[in-house]
Amino acid sequence: MQRIWEIAGNIFESTVFIYGSVLLVSYAALAICSLIAVRRWVMSEKYQGGDVLLTSPLAPGISVIAPAYNEGLTIIYNVRSLLTLKYVRYEIIVVNDGSTDNSMEQLIREFSLVPVDFAYNAKIQTRPVKKIYKSTDPVYSKLTIIDKVNGKSKADAVNAGINAAAYDHFVCTDVDCILDENTIIELIKPVMKEKNKRVIAIGATLRIANSNVFDQGVMVGVRPPAQLLPRFQEVEYIRAFVLGKMGWTLLNCVPNVSGGLGLFDKEIAIRCGGYDHTSFGEDMELMTRMCRYALDNKIPYAIRYIPKTLCWTEVPSTVKVFGRQRTRWARGLAQLMHAHFSMFLKPKYGKMGLVVFPYNFFFELLAPIIEFAGIVYYIAMVAMGLINWPTAIVLLVFVYTYSIMITTLAILYDQITFRYYNSWRDVALLCLTPFLEFFLYHPLIVFFSLRGYYFFLTGKKSGWGNMQRRGFQVAPNRPA
Amino acid sequence: MSKILLIEDDEVMSTIVKRILQKAEYQVDHVRNGKEAFEILEHTGYGYDLIITDIMMPYANGFEILSKVRNIPDGRQLPVILLSNAGMDDMIQEGLKLGADDFLKKPVLPAELLMRIRRLLNKEVS
Amino acid sequence: MNFSLLDFLESIFFEFRYAPLIIQVAILFVFVAISLTLVAYFSILRRRFRGFRRDKNVARLNELIDELLIDNVLSQDPESVETPGQTAETAAQAFHLPQFSKRRGRQVLIDRLLNYRNNVRGAMGDEIRTLYLLLELDKDSFKKLKSRKWNRKVRALNELSNMEIGVADVIILPLTNSRNRELRAAARHAYIKLSKNEPFKFFDLATEPLLLWDQVELFRIITTTNHIAIPNFAQWITYSNNKSVISFCLKLVVHYHQLKAIPAVLKLLDTKDHLLRAEAINCLGKMKIADAEDKLAYIYNNQPLNCQIEILKALGRIGSGKHTEFLKQEFQLSTDFELRKHAAKSLTNSEPPGSELITELLETSSAENKLILKHCMNPLIKF
Repeated sequence: MQRIWEIAGNIFESTVFIYGSVLLVSYAALAICSLIAVRRWVMSEKYQGGDVLLTSPLAPGISVIAPAYNEGLTIIYNVRSLLTLKYVRYEIIVVNDGSTDNSMEQLIREFSLVPVDFAYNAKIQTRPVKKIYKSTDPVYSKLTIIDKVNGKSKADAVNAGINAAAYDHFVCTDVDCILDENTIIELIKPVMKEKNKRVIAIGATLRIANSNVFDQGVMVGVRPPAQLLPRFQEVEYIRAFVLGKMGWTLLNCVPNVSGGLGLFDKEIAIRCGGYDHTSFGEDMELMTRMCRYALDNKIPYAIRYIPKTLCWTEVPSTVKVFGRQRTRWARGLAQLMHAHFSMFLKPKYGKMGLVVFPYNFFFELLAPIIEFAGIVYYIAMVAMGLINWPTAIVLLVFVYTYSIMITTLAILYDQITFRYYNSWRDVALLCLTPFLEFFLYHPLIVFFSLRGYYFFLTGKKSGWGNMQRRGFQVAPNRPA
Repeated sequence: MSKILLIEDDEVMSTIVKRILQKAEYQVDHVRNGKEAFEILEHTGYGYDLIITDIMMPYANGFEILSKVRNIPDGRQLPVILLSNAGMDDMIQEGLKLGADDFLKKPVLPAELLMRIRRLLNKEVS
Repeated sequence: MNFSLLDFLESIFFEFRYAPLIIQVAILFVFVAISLTLVAYFSILRRRFRGFRRDKNVARLNELIDELLIDNVLSQDPESVETPGQTAETAAQAFHLPQFSKRRGRQVLIDRLLNYRNNVRGAMGDEIRTLYLLLELDKDSFKKLKSRKWNRKVRALNELSNMEIGVADVIILPLTNSRNRELRAAARHAYIKLSKNEPFKFFDLATEPLLLWDQVELFRIITTTNHIAIPNFAQWITYSNNKSVISFCLKLVVHYHQLKAIPAVLKLLDTKDHLLRAEAINCLGKMKIADAEDKLAYIYNNQPLNCQIEILKALGRIGSGKHTEFLKQEFQLSTDFELRKHAAKSLTNSEPPGSELITELLETSSAENKLILKHCMNPLIKF
């Protein structure tokens, strides 16, 4: 009996060891790729401002789609801020997803809206659209407001927006996200600079707005969040976007364009059937289907990321809401892996099947499970008095310092892109955050992920009922 | 001496225009965005003889400023010149439809700028 | 387990010496991680400090430059016809300051002057250029052009072309086919702007596709540079093997309303590439070539969707009324929503709102078609 335990323990230990080593090596590789990609972007940006595009009749048209649900407090400023985006050919489509507050009345009053006979073509099925409004004031001729029956998800709202969009590319964002005024230019640039591939999606860094200073929907100050939980998320976002996504973009293996801000190829998005409103991670789900569509139809495609922060968003500041969000994301990931498992390690699906999918499977989906198992194992070892303390401590210190290094590198890359934050104190504060992350923040994520998987496996519904009503308030902006 | 309000967020452009206007003995107030523009207009009770405005700016773009000015009794007759980049012909058309009196393409030709201002100011007098 | 710290350290050391390889490696990596983290901190610190100092410096210099320019160049009477160069000469005197003797300061000066030149034309713009020459800033630019680093070359090309300083073809032409994308683009732009002989020569030589982004930049340069002699674009539309060059020429044909290139565009309707064909149709529509209508209506049925849409749009733009029946038929019978919408749009564009045809269609159409018609007739909806 003792012997069997020993063998099992050894197998487990070596598996975890190999797993861990591969994970750490791939992080290091990502860090290197990301550095190259970030530097390349910075270099090419230096000499080519976007201003030419502002004045060019050749600029491609862009539809900006922003769903809103009960955003009455800020909706006017937010829409106004969308209207000051710097670009020549674009339209703003705000989808009022059956708000129960006075958002719609406010919009009608502020922008002199009237209902119009709009030839809405439901290429993607959504909950019914009640009315479509345009402004009688020619100043707001770019604005279209769709008033639809609540579809209980961001996916459904965006789909309605896609149906009404006039241009070939659409930018998907949230009404409560604050966008940089150059967002459209920056996002369309990679599409126009790509040589032989069709760029089906472009994303940019998202950053936490919790402590930023806003004035009438215009951001006047950037600060790292003062509260600890949002600050952990800021560090996490920087790591996921600047280090993760930028690394992947060099390899053309970007797994996901965040729902907070992304530009997409409309034709392919529609052909794939748009966002899936039953998904808990609709952004990643759509991305996967778009890639799959492109591969199935032999369209050479690319997904790109740019390291510049173009979108500021508010993140949960209480553990309760945060937990809800992460549980949902984990559930979405499990759902996605389950639905598209046929791509796993299939050479037919190229990088998607051989790199992106396995990576996500092993290091995103399985990571919390393996970590948890590891902890349980060590506790059992301790309980049985079998632990070799110095070895355990050395390994722990190793993982701890390594994770701090990776995060610090991410912060450095982020600073290479742009000198965010005004004061040294802000940056120092940010650099100190990873020291606590390991002990305070990371366990939370593991816990909520496991909860998400559990819900996925049991298909639990009841617990979601009341919060799903406003699904996308808490879950639009996944960084990973 | 005529009073002109210049609304422009680009530093160099505003330096140039301001200087040209001052040289031609106009009194110039300069603001950098839509919000400041509204504030100064309210504050002075639309006490300007002419507005020169850029189109793309934070808070409110040139068209919004134009439309707001046009919807106010004091501002209905106020001449407005749009500053736009070359190649934005569609935008210029849109601006003229909204009631802009004239437009100027960047890079500006100083003589042209002054000519257009004078024409508008004289028209108002006569 | 009550050993002292020293014992603990000793045991760690002992463990390290005789530990399995894995542990030794792990400890090694701990040190690597710590040092890299420290390096990262240091880099962040240095970047921020330098960036902060540079920004402050540039701001100060810019302020000084602005002042000097206001006093010396911008102070001239914009309507006077002084001998050009005279003010620049006095201005150049004023700029002989120690701040502008070092490379960094001169670079700031160049950048600021470029910025001014992009914002003002006429005599004042020329003064800025003369000032650039008098201060011998062009020498700085040429030095950068000789640099081995591509980014410095790009910078030099931008400066020289914006200041319109001639550069020999032999220097620029090889760069237009450089392997570096940014450099290639910058060289093309400079060539178009500066070449005295045949600014469009590289259209013949371009083997790489002209990216959409490059087209935007080229388009701006071609359409805003005054002295460029505009060639007949038909030669590339007919003979170029480079699809992106053809596509770009079509856009230029529209911009310059180049009627003499139309036969070549008409011939392009037979091309196999449907994307290019769609662009040719688009060009014909925007040029309002009434002669093309019959042919467009004739080929309509054999076209893929994107070309069909373009044909419907073109018929609306040309709007001769000759093919109203055709549009009406497409509107009533097509199964595709987009086609019906574009047919309706073209009908409403060419027919006045109260016309017989529109009234008839409004009365007889299905609910969906009626909605499409109303959509197209609504002035608030652009698309």
